[in-house]
Amino acid sequence: MQPNWPDLIRSLFSQETAFTLAVAILIVGIVLSYLVWRWTHLLLERTGIKSAIEGTTFERTAQRFGTSTAGILGLLLAGFVYAGTLIVAFHIARLLNVELFWSRITGYLPRFFIAVLAIVIGLIVGEKAALVIQERLQSVKLPEASVIPKLVKYSIFYIAALIALAQVGVATTALLVLLAAYAFGVVFLGGLAFKDLLMASAAGIYLLLSEPYTIGDEVRIDEKRGIVQEVDVFVTRIESEDEEFVIPNQQVFRSGVVRIRD
Amino acid sequence: MTGLAALLDEIVGDIDALLLFTRDASTFDLFSDEETTMIVVAKDNAVGADNFVRLPLEFTNVNGRIRFGLEGAIRQELVAEGDEVVCLTTSFEENRIDTVVRVRADQFTQTGIYDLFTNSRADADVVRDVFEVAIELGQKGQKGKPVGALFVVGDAGKVMNKSRPLSYNPFEKSHVHVGDPIVNVMLKEFSRLDGAFVISDGGKIVSAYRYLEPAAEGVDIPRGLGARHMAAGAITRDTNAITIVLSESDGMVRAFKGGELILELDPEEY
Repeated sequence: MQPNWPDLIRSLFSQETAFTLAVAILIVGIVLSYLVWRWTHLLLERTGIKSAIEGTTFERTAQRFGTSTAGILGLLLAGFVYAGTLIVAFHIARLLNVELFWSRITGYLPRFFIAVLAIVIGLIVGEKAALVIQERLQSVKLPEASVIPKLVKYSIFYIAALIALAQVGVATTALLVLLAAYAFGVVFLGGLAFKDLLMASAAGIYLLLSEPYTIGDEVRIDEKRGIVQEVDVFVTRIESEDEEFVIPNQQVFRSGVVRIRD
Repeated sequence: MTGLAALLDEIVGDIDALLLFTRDASTFDLFSDEETTMIVVAKDNAVGADNFVRLPLEFTNVNGRIRFGLEGAIRQELVAEGDEVVCLTTSFEENRIDTVVRVRADQFTQTGIYDLFTNSRADADVVRDVFEVAIELGQKGQKGKPVGALFVVGDAGKVMNKSRPLSYNPFEKSHVHVGDPIVNVMLKEFSRLDGAFVISDGGKIVSAYRYLEPAAEGVDIPRGLGARHMAAGAITRDTNAITIVLSESDGMVRAFKGGELILELDPEEY
């Protein structure tokens, strides 16, 4: 459809009008890209993204170059819009008649744009996620726990890089296989490792929803008799005269509960 | 100024420990080369100090803050009784040290206020949350009128067995925890009802409308406090719970543990 446009305009108007139209489109493009630049800034500020990404490495690197993440994203979007209008204008004016070249560029431009966007977002999200997890784990005084935020960070970087590479057309099959293996490992081994916790929480959800026994009831579970002190998703705490039993919920479920009436 | 400098030297000279009430890393770094033991007392260990005492509440009152910090330091065995301690804290400005206090570690009789938070059955966070709810209730009241409330925190199983329901339990089959954002509104509404709130070790609100039936003999609470406080003091003697009471008549928040009055706060000061 697109190659018909210049001919259509020329058949409707004169050659000069087509040229004027091209210039007009260029000017509209400048205004539009400026507006897009403004809107990105406003949007990022309104949604609170701007303050959320403050202090990340990417933002700091951007600031060292005298700009900011919002600036880069705005520039990127504006550049994208401007390049689009530029191509349309050239196309209409028939200034460069290398049709094939332009059609390839138009096909390539959005993909390149998405690739850059994926990298920027990946870098920011990865670092933010690592930070959030680190904050959550702060109360866990375990040196090994510091591996988890890093793992999450680099996983997100990896996926972002994969998206970007796939967009620009690099063969990513091998990397994809690696990702699949990694995801499988995480899900499978994680499932295996957390099997008991999953079972406990499944039983715990039932116990919490239907409350067959509640805090203050006297119960007996597997010869462990006492007053229920706490029921949470994973365990039930039962306290007798001088012992406190912490019973995983799946055990409660499996062996049943005897409620003792007085 | 020599007199002033001499006085300051005398105050800070020859001490065993330094209590620093700050969350500010740059203030902390100022003292990092200090040879005397330094103990950071704050709401959270933002500066990553080795010796740290957690403040459960934002004490606006300097006296209360220092008492709590000292007691925490003694309980953690960072400071020995009889040590001379200098406290650096803020009285008026936030985030700027403007007060230097020299105090002997055994200056105050230990009230157990530190134990109330850290060595109770319930989690320290839960105790703190209940305190905050009680303080807020004390400040605002219910529709502008002062209300009273009684929270029994921890050892909920035993407390439930030592009390009976006055009416339907509005919290039955609900999973509301103190600290949930909706809770303040709910508790405010329910504070109109008579009876106590029972809260479990983990912070779950087990019941409202509870009539506590502890044995009250031998409970020694100050004269002039009413039935609510008597019940609150007595239940902590019978169980391992602590109670936090908002007085309807004088608007004070009091905490009981082991049958004794541990802490008295004026909600208006927070």
